[in-house]
Order: sequence, then C-alpha cells, then structure tokens
Amino acid sequence: MLISRPAVAGTLESGDATVRITPHDSLEVVVTSSVEAQYGDAVRRVVRQTLEGLGVARALVTVTDKGALDYALRARVEAAVMRAGDEPVDWDVLIGGER
Amino acid sequence: MDDIVITSWAPGSDPVDPVDQAVPAAVAGLLERAGLGLEADVEVWALARRDGRLVGCMGLAGDLVKDVVVDQGLRGHNLMAGLLTELRHQAVARGRTRLSCYTRPSLAAVFASLGFRALAQADGLAVLMEDDPRGVERYQADLAASRREGERIAAVVLNANPFSLGHQHLLRLAARDCDLVHVFVLGEDRSQFSPAERFALVRDGLAALPEHDRFVLHPGSRYIVSRLTFPQYFLKDQADIARAHAGIDLQLFRQRVAPVLGIRHRFVGSEPTSRITAHYNQEMRRWLQSPQADWPTIEVHQVERLEVGGRPVSATRVRQALAAGRFDQLAELVPATTWDYLVRRPPRAEPAPLGPPAPPRRQGGRSQPPDDHRQAKELSC
Repeated sequence: MLISRPAVAGTLESGDATVRITPHDSLEVVVTSSVEAQYGDAVRRVVRQTLEGLGVARALVTVTDKGALDYALRARVEAAVMRAGDEPVDWDVLIGGER
Repeated sequence: MDDIVITSWAPGSDPVDPVDQAVPAAVAGLLERAGLGLEADVEVWALARRDGRLVGCMGLAGDLVKDVVVDQGLRGHNLMAGLLTELRHQAVARGRTRLSCYTRPSLAAVFASLGFRALAQADGLAVLMEDDPRGVERYQADLAASRREGERIAAVVLNANPFSLGHQHLLRLAARDCDLVHVFVLGEDRSQFSPAERFALVRDGLAALPEHDRFVLHPGSRYIVSRLTFPQYFLKDQADIARAHAGIDLQLFRQRVAPVLGIRHRFVGSEPTSRITAHYNQEMRRWLQSPQADWPTIEVHQVERLEVGGRPVSATRVRQALAAGRFDQLAELVPATTWDYLVRRPPRAEPAPLGPPAPPRRQGGRSQPPDDHRQAKELSC
C-alpha cells in the first residue's frame, strides 16, 4: 500500500499508542515506549508485522507507545495506514482470520 | 479523562455557539493566570474543558507547540496527553508531521513521556525538544552527503535579507582563510525576502566569485534556530530570551551540525549597532570555544564589517535604500547579482503570518500577576 499523505491514529492514554505515518523512501519504524525495557522489541515486531500485512514498504512510522496490547497496537497502525493511503480498505485482510 | 472535553479552536474562525464566543477571553485568561503571554502566531488551539470551564490549552504555530497551560489540580488526568493528541491531529491536517517545543526544563520529563526528545538545553532556562526520535540523525545523514574533506573547514550562518557586499566580504575572508566554507542560509519565512529568494541571491552572488569552488551552500534547517522564530512566551526578560536562544542554537551547531561536516571554524561579522547580535556573538565564543569532552572546539573569527561611505554595510541599510528607491546607493551596497534582481523584482507582499490575526499581545512586561489573581496553580511552559 502506498503512503501518500501523513496521518495519525491513537492517543497517549495509558494502554494505547499514537501511530504517526508519513511518506518516506524506505520503511523506517521508530518506537518509543513506556514499557521499552520489557516489551520494546515486541512492540516493534507487532508494528512491523502489521505494516507487512498491509503491504506498506515505504513509510516513516513513529510510534509513541503507552503500554498498548497487541490488538490495540495493530488497530492503531491499521487506522493510520488507512488514513495515509488512497487505496480502498481491504476488509478481508483487516478482519480476516489470518492472524 | 472522564468528564473532560477536548476540542480545538482556530483563532479567526467564526464562533458558532455561545461557548465558542467565550473561548478567546478564556484562553487569554488562562495564560494570564499562568504568567504567560499569548503568542500571536498560534494558528490553532487544543482546549480542555471541565464543566464548561477551561482547564488547559496548547497552541500550534508552524510545527511549534507553545503556550501550554494545564490546571495543576487536574494533573492526574493526563491533560497534556489529551491536548497533544488533539493538536497532533490538527497538525497532521495541516501537513505537519513532526512537532517541536521549547519548554522550561521542569517540564521536559512530561514532554518526554509524550514522545518528545530533548535536543539542547540552555542554562536551565529552556529546552528544545522534538517528537521525532530519529529526526536529528536523518538530518545528519542528509548533511553528510555534502561533506567535503579539507584542512580548515569553516561555517557561516546568515539570513541574507538580502545578500549584500557585507555578506560577500565576510564569506570571501572566510574562504581565503579556509579550504572550505559551509554557508547556511536561514530558512524561516519571516523576512522581507523569502527563503527561496535569499538562498538564490547567496548562490548567485557566490557563483560569481573567484573562490566559488570553496563554498558549499545549505538551506536552513530546524536545527539552525533563527532568533526570529524563537518563542519568548515563557521567559520573563529579554536577556534570558537572548541567552536561551543563543545557547540552544549554538549547542545544536556544535554538537549536531559541525561534527558531520568537520567544521572547526565559524566566521561572523562584528556587530557595531545591534546589541542583541553583539551579545549573540559573545555567546558564540562561550558555547563554541569552551572545551567539552565529546565535541571538538570551534574557533570563532569575528570579522570587521565592510564599510561604505564611512558606515558599515548591513542588510537593514540595503532595505532602507531599496524602500527609498535609491538604486544608485544600492549599487554600492550589493553585488551585481543582487542588484540585477532588485531592479526587476516584483513587489512582494509582507511575509504571510503563520495564522490569522490573533488578539493583541499583552502590553508591558510579563510580570506575574498578583497572587490573589491566581485562581489555580498552573503547570505551564
């Protein structure tokens, strides 16, 4: 999926995350997390997997994580990507049972 | 955040309901009680209300977050997070993907918890932070592409509004003394000449010089801070503002810019007229030449101003001659490249303010209001 405009999704409340996405010439994921020590790598993995699932190959993705659980994180990444792209949402991918 | 309502308000937009009509006065009041001045360039506000009462505000001007006030009685409600989330949506809607802020050091931890990273701090007065955790590294990677090797590498930072013989004089002296001169043209659109115009005039002016192959030209960046855009609202007096600006700008230069390009010399014109600039030049010695373990020193070279007709050439003098239509005088003050441009330049409107006209600034000093005026203790930056 092509990222054609900047977008943001999520909040900074505890248990949530803010995901910002902007057009970029490569895929770069930057995460700051309030639970970096325990779950920083897990957060990065979920974000990358979600981006991969959506076919995002070029974007700068900045995540400010406040201890979001996996599904919340995925939802925020998906929402940001949908807002940033022009392609229609493929709901089969989004809600499909492939996860 | 149960009973707290977060909204946004753009000054100048038509108030729709009675609540909106009360907003401008409420924001001004909230800032006033926190001892802050209303910054005129705020384009949009994120506002927090509880039971109709304004309990927090956060302004956006360009990509700067400013005029932040949060009612301290509500700190546990994480108001800052709610305000910033709203402001980020407003920023993205305006195409701005990264935000920065200048804040009091005491608030740096709060901003850090919201995803901001401190870039430089000046004398306990102010911290510059940005919400792009890899922003500096990305800028440095871009900058590294224009690195060239040399024995003596210098830098000059200028606004060039517009490029004059004074600038040319300074740059040529630097080029005669060094193998390479990196020239940074400030990028803010707050001057009579636009950033693109200023950059083009410097480029054309340098291309005509015999030393042209010693110059490497750079557009301004957010890591070279113009005094024109340095916010003032949370510092009380002009001396502190000047000190904070110089400290932050010069540390960024020494730590983030100079090492990437191997810059060990900085050239600056002497400042016979402006006290603020003279002070900045003084601060330059302190921040660039003092020994620091991690960062090489940068030698400051102050060059006497070029004089024409017994007076120093300055961009102000050029603009005055231009305003008076004295092209004969201009010919003595600017190089041919600039003169050619000025003669055929279409008149330009004053730089557009970042936002719609805002309420007038508070007059007088930013003294704290008397204590009985403070209805609540506020967390402010």
